[in-house]
Amino acid sequence: MRKQLAEIREIDRYLLQEMTAPVRLVFQARMLVAPALREKVRYQRKALQLLFWLAREEKRAQLDIVFQRLMKEDHFHQSITSIFK
Amino acid sequence: MRNHEDQWLEEIYRNLLPQVARMVHRMNGNLEMAKDVFQDAVIIYLEKQRQQTLPANVPAQAYIMGIARICCIRKMKQTGRYTSLENINSDISVPADYYALPPVERSVLNYVKAAGKRCLQLLQAFYYDHLSIQEIAAGFDFKTPHSASVQKYKCLEKVREQIKQSDYAETVS
Repeated sequence: MRKQLAEIREIDRYLLQEMTAPVRLVFQARMLVAPALREKVRYQRKALQLLFWLAREEKRAQLDIVFQRLMKEDHFHQSITSIFK
Repeated sequence: MRNHEDQWLEEIYRNLLPQVARMVHRMNGNLEMAKDVFQDAVIIYLEKQRQQTLPANVPAQAYIMGIARICCIRKMKQTGRYTSLENINSDISVPADYYALPPVERSVLNYVKAAGKRCLQLLQAFYYDHLSIQEIAAGFDFKTPHSASVQKYKCLEKVREQIKQSDYAETVS
């Protein structure tokens, strides 16, 4: 694995809290003295947040399809809409 | 053809949406809100199930109803219509980042989605769906788990780089 990917893996372990306490402390110390590493961690954290955000959006779309399908059934449609009348 | 998860979702909709709708109605909400609250609750339930962080002694439907209640109260608070936060079961909680805004601009979201669909699917399988690297290797036709793992980091690097570039573009514009 090339050096850049090894670093991504290391940051990954940090963000997923898979490092042991001493290794984590050393990594945090390295971040303090290396702005470039700090920046990489920041963008990688954002990348993971983005993945979650997109995955939830996709899941919502999947749920919406099921909802629209069920709402075409008269009985289901009636059972839900009657609650709000 | 409907997959297993779709069938489960349909069953949950039939069993629980009416209950969620009645709860939302009692709190002066509307159908749209009931749908949103229900969907948020199901998504959170599925996430916790994959992370194996569901409380052991709470049935799925009770858990989803509990989450739906929290989501509903949160929405009502946003609209200034409801403020009670009493009687919330501490076993049931919404992830801290669940209602966070998208971490990047919408244009970047679309760009990332369009630029690397397979990469996104691979990353989501690992980070969101919590599949093992062996499952990912099999599902994405990699020869070995190691090559799947290397590809995962390459994809992460690609997404990270896209976010970084967009951040710089925002800064200079």
